[in-house]
Amino acid sequence: MKRKILCWQVTLAVPALLLGFSAQAHEPEKHMKEAEKPECAAMKTMDPSKMDRDDPVMQAMMQKCRDEMHQDESGPHGSHADHSGEDKKGNEKSPSKHEH
Amino acid sequence: MAPRKFLSCIKCLAVASGIAVATGVAFIYSGLYPMGADDRHTALTTWTLETLRERSISRASAGIDVPADLDNPERLLAGGADYNDMCVGCHLKPGKTESDFTLGLYPAPPNLARQTQDEGDAESRARRRFWTIKHGIKASGMPAWGPGHNDERIWNMVAFLRRLPDLSPEQYQIVTARGSTDSDYH
Repeated sequence: MKRKILCWQVTLAVPALLLGFSAQAHEPEKHMKEAEKPECAAMKTMDPSKMDRDDPVMQAMMQKCRDEMHQDESGPHGSHADHSGEDKKGNEKSPSKHEH
Repeated sequence: MAPRKFLSCIKCLAVASGIAVATGVAFIYSGLYPMGADDRHTALTTWTLETLRERSISRASAGIDVPADLDNPERLLAGGADYNDMCVGCHLKPGKTESDFTLGLYPAPPNLARQTQDEGDAESRARRRFWTIKHGIKASGMPAWGPGHNDERIWNMVAFLRRLPDLSPEQYQIVTARGSTDSDYH
């Protein structure tokens, strides 16, 4: 009788575990270690006249590359003052990055 | 006289139906049907399966409410990263026209990086995409992502799919990269 119960427990536990693992398999956090970094340098080569700042794609790209662009601006040739409005807009539009 | 004729007609139909069912079962068990993915369906089978699929998805997705904020950049970033992890092998990305999956799967998965005109208006396309991602499609290679992904996450992918055909390879790389340029991204 005990053997039968154990057998049933194993039969139920194995699929449950497999299901549990598969559900966790694609959590975004699991991908962060090997996560590809955005190649923000490409943004500098894009034609500014074709960059619509109201376009959600452009806003997403600016949000993704904000820190790299910010570093460039604070470098020896950069200027914070020129883009202070843009920074403000970016901060307003972008919620916390810690939500993942 | 007339009822007798009617009865014999019914008998005839019953015998014919029995023979048809028996022949069908015999064919299934015979193993004669070519099951290889490299063996194409006939035009009639293709039409039947595609019509069955399209009608079924249209009916099942009809009552789904589409969120109003699908243009939110946050949704594009979250959905893009998931698309790049889960979908790009089969559904491709800007600058890529084929993969081992697109060459080998049958039916071939649609290239979602290419602009399509044949799926109705944007709302119904969004509903159909949401349903398809969540529930998958039987015997096609398209899995149901619903069991491991909540509705918000699936809507993020739908949001990304709306803009995918507009993206250049460079834009795609930036929007879908899960990593960040800064170091404090958890």
